[in-house]
Amino acid sequence: MSKVIDVRNLTLTVPTSKGRAPVIENLSFAIEQGEKLGLVGESGSGKSLTAYSLMRLIKEPVRIESGELFINGVDVMKLSESEFRKYRGSEIAMIYQDPMSALNPIMKIGDQIVESILLHKKISRKEALKLAVGLLESVGIPEPEERVNSYPFEMSGGMLQRVVIAIALSGEPKVLIADEATTALDVTTQERVLTLLNRLAEERNLSVLLITHDLGVAAQFSDRINVMYGGRLVEQGRTKEVFTAPQHPYTRALLDSRCDYTVDVNKPIKSIAGQPPRPDNRPTGCVFAPRCEHAIGACSDTVPELRNVIGREVACIRIDELKSVSS
Amino acid sequence: MGLCLLCPWIAPYDPYEIGASDAFLGPSKANWMGTDDLGRDLLSRILYGGRITILVAIAATIIALVIGTAWGLAAGVRRGWLDEVLMRTADATMAIPQILFGLVCISAVGASVISLPIVVGVLLAPTTARMARSAVVTELSSQYVVAAQASGFTRTRLIWSEVMPNIAPQLLVQLSINAAAAVMLEATLSFIGLGIQPPNASWGTLMLQGYAKIWNTYWFVTFPALAVTITILAFNAYGERIRKNLDSRKSTVNE
Amino acid sequence: MIINVKNLSRAFKGSGGVVLALDSISLSLQEGKTLAVVGESGSGKTTAARLILGLDKPSAGSINVLGQEITSFSPSQMRPLRREIQVVQQDPFSQLNRRHTVRRIIEGPMLAFKVGDKKSREQRVIELIEAVGLQREHLSRKPHELSGGQCQRVAIARALALDPKILILDEAVSALDVSVRAQVLNLLKKLQKDRGLTYLFITHDLGVAHYMADEIVVMFRGRIVERGTREEVFEAPRHHYTAGLLASVPVADFSTEKTDFGVLQDVIVQASPIKTDACAYRSRCSVGKDEKDCADKALTETMGSASHGWICHFPIER
Repeated sequence: MSKVIDVRNLTLTVPTSKGRAPVIENLSFAIEQGEKLGLVGESGSGKSLTAYSLMRLIKEPVRIESGELFINGVDVMKLSESEFRKYRGSEIAMIYQDPMSALNPIMKIGDQIVESILLHKKISRKEALKLAVGLLESVGIPEPEERVNSYPFEMSGGMLQRVVIAIALSGEPKVLIADEATTALDVTTQERVLTLLNRLAEERNLSVLLITHDLGVAAQFSDRINVMYGGRLVEQGRTKEVFTAPQHPYTRALLDSRCDYTVDVNKPIKSIAGQPPRPDNRPTGCVFAPRCEHAIGACSDTVPELRNVIGREVACIRIDELKSVSS
Repeated sequence: MGLCLLCPWIAPYDPYEIGASDAFLGPSKANWMGTDDLGRDLLSRILYGGRITILVAIAATIIALVIGTAWGLAAGVRRGWLDEVLMRTADATMAIPQILFGLVCISAVGASVISLPIVVGVLLAPTTARMARSAVVTELSSQYVVAAQASGFTRTRLIWSEVMPNIAPQLLVQLSINAAAAVMLEATLSFIGLGIQPPNASWGTLMLQGYAKIWNTYWFVTFPALAVTITILAFNAYGERIRKNLDSRKSTVNE
Repeated sequence: MIINVKNLSRAFKGSGGVVLALDSISLSLQEGKTLAVVGESGSGKTTAARLILGLDKPSAGSINVLGQEITSFSPSQMRPLRREIQVVQQDPFSQLNRRHTVRRIIEGPMLAFKVGDKKSREQRVIELIEAVGLQREHLSRKPHELSGGQCQRVAIARALALDPKILILDEAVSALDVSVRAQVLNLLKKLQKDRGLTYLFITHDLGVAHYMADEIVVMFRGRIVERGTREEVFEAPRHHYTAGLLASVPVADFSTEKTDFGVLQDVIVQASPIKTDACAYRSRCSVGKDEKDCADKALTETMGSASHGWICHFPIER
C-alpha cells in the first residue's frame, strides 16, 4: 500500500499582536491508499486548517511557513498555482459542513454535477449528464434521472450532502477530505452518510480524511486516528487501540469528557480545566502542559516529539511513566 | 474639507470686495486662482463657496439620515402592511430622476439656504430607508434579540439599546455616501440656477457663473469643479474606511 | 407541575399548504427536574420552546406556566412572567449583543425590569459571573474576545439575572467543543441543584439528553412519539424512531457492544406536511411501511406505565 498523502513538518502561522504565531506546528502524518483516517480535535487544534492546507487553499493572513506535502509522491508545495489546480478535484477533493452553501442555489443539481465533470473530462454534455445520473445513483439518491432536474432548495440536508459527495467524486479523486461533513446533519442522516462514505471508500479504494470533533463519529468510521491539540499532533494510531487505551493525557482527558449515554449520570463529567490556547499566547514546551494533570516542570521546557509507543505515535515526555496509569 | 469650514480665517481677501484687482486675471501670485468677472478673488470665493456647499451637504445628509432611518425602522419593525406601503413609496421615489424631482421641489418652495438642504435630504432619504430597513430586519432575526425579548425588554427599548448599536456602523457608511451625493446634487442644482443664489455662492453657483466664459477664463469654472470632485472623493474614501473597519471587526481567524 | 402543556398545536402557512409544526402535543415539567425534548430537525422542538416562552402564539391548545394560562396573554401581560422563565440558546456568540460588554449583557434583564440601583446591580453581576465560573476581568470584555464556552457561561449568567424558576435550554451545548460541553453541563447540573431550577432541555444529542434528563419526550415531525423516564426510554424504547435514533448514535466506546435496537431503514424521505392522523414515521419504519394500519388508522397514546407512553400501532415487544 502506498502513501497517497504524506505531510512533513507542516507549519502555518497567523499574525498576532506579538508577531506571527503558529496555528499548526510541525505537523507530519500520512494517509495510505484506501485508508480512512480520522482527524480529531477541538477548536484551535488546527484540524480544519490542515484540510485547507492539503488543498492549498490557505490565504493571507494565514501563511504556510514551511513543510512538504507529497501527493502520490509529488511535493505539491513546490508547484505553481496553475499546476496544482489540476490536482484539485482529480487527485484530492473536499466536502464541507454545510451542503446548502456549497451548492449554487439557482442551478439545478444535475447541472452542477455536470459542470464539475466537464472540468476534469473532455466529453460532451450529454455524456456528462449520463455520468451525473450514475453518480447520483451511486450516492444513493432515488430516481436519479428525475433528481438531476431538482434545485437545492427542494432537497433535504442529507440528500444535499450526498449531492456534494457526488460532485466531489466526479473528478475521480484518490483522496476525499470531509471537513465536519456530517456535523450539521441529523444523527440518523449522519449514519446514512457515513455508511455511504464507507461503501464508496471500499468500492473505489478511496482514501478518506474525516475531520471531526465528534469522537463517536471518528470511532465508528476511521481505521486510524490522529488527535490534534493546539496545532500539534499529540497521538496517532489505530482507532480501536487509541480509544480503548489512550496514551496521551489529552486523548485520555478528551475521552473522559465526552457525554454519550454510556456515561454515569450521577457523577460530574470529568472535564478539562481551562481552555485551548490561542495563537497569541501559546505555552512554551508541550502545548497541553498548562491543562494537563500529569504535567511536571520539564513539560514546559521542550516540545515533546512523537515517539513510538506500543505501536502508536505519542507526543509526551512522560509517556513511559503514565503507561501504568489506567485510563 | 475642514479647510473650507475654516475659511473665514484663511481667505486672503474679502470675497465680496469688488474691483480690488483688475477683472479676469488668470491665476497669479496675488490671486492664486485668479479673479472673477467682478475682480473678486476666486480662491476666497471658492473657500466661502465651499463652506456653503459643505454645510448644505451636511445638513441634507443629517436630514436624510433622520428621515431615512425612521422610515426604514418603522417598516422593518412593524412589517405587515405598513412595511409594504413605506417601501413601495421609497421605490416610487427612487424611480423618479433625482434632478427632476429636485427641480420641481425647488421651484415650488423657492431656492434658499434653508430649502436646499431639506429638498436634497428628502431626495436622499429613500436609499437610507431601504438600507435601514434591511439592517433592522436582519438584526431582529438574531438570537440576541430573542434573548432580549425573553429578558423582558419592551419593544422600544429593544430597538434603541440592543439593535441600534449594531446598525450604527452601516448607517455611518450610508452617511458618507449620502454626503457625497448631497454635494453632487447641490452643485448640480446651483449650476442650473435653482440652488444658492448670488451674491451667496456655492461651488455650483460659481461654476454657473464661470461657465459662460469658459473659453477665456478657464480658471473660473475649473477650480470649483475640482473642489467638488475632491470633496466627493474624500467623502467616499471616508466611507470606505469605515466599512473596512466594520468588516475587520466582525471577522475572526477561523479554524 | 410548573409547566403544563395540553394539546398544543402550531400551524404555518407554507407553499405546499398548511404545515403543522406542532400537532397537539402535551407535556409537563415538574419543579426542580429536567425534561429533555429530543428531536431532529423538523421535529418542532424549537417551535415548542418559542411557544412556551410566550414569543409566539399557538394555533390551538393551552400552555400553563406557573399557574397562569399564557396562550391568550398580550405582551404586557406576559412581561411579569418573563422574570420566571428564561432561555439559553444555541449559538454562543450571536445570542449575546456583540456591541455590549459582558457586564451590560448580564445586567440586561435587570435593566429591562428596572431592578435595583446601579450599585446593587453591579453586585449581582459580580455574583453571577462568579457563579458561572468566570472572573471579574471578563466583565469589561466583549463577546468576540471570549471563547464559545465562555460566551455560553455569560448567556447562562444573564438567564439567571432575575432569579428565574425555569430555564429553557435550546441546544445550549450543541455548538461547544466536547471538553467545554462537559464543563457547561457540569455547571448546569450544579446550578440546578443549588438553586432548585427546572430545566426544559432541548437537544438532538441523545448522550446529553441521557446525562441531563429525569424525563424525556421524543419528537418527530411535530408529534411526541414516545415519552418516559430516562431509564424507560433508553433501556426499553417502544417506538421504532426512538430505537432508530439510539442505534444511529455513534459511540466512542469499544468496550461494550452497541445494543441492537432493530434494523434501520436506509430510505430517503422528503419533508412534507403531514396531512393525516396516521403515523408520520411509517415510510421510514421497518414495520410501518408494510402495515396497512400504519397508513390509515389514527394514533392514540398507549401508556405502558404511569410515565412511559408511545404512539405506535406495532410497538417494539418487550
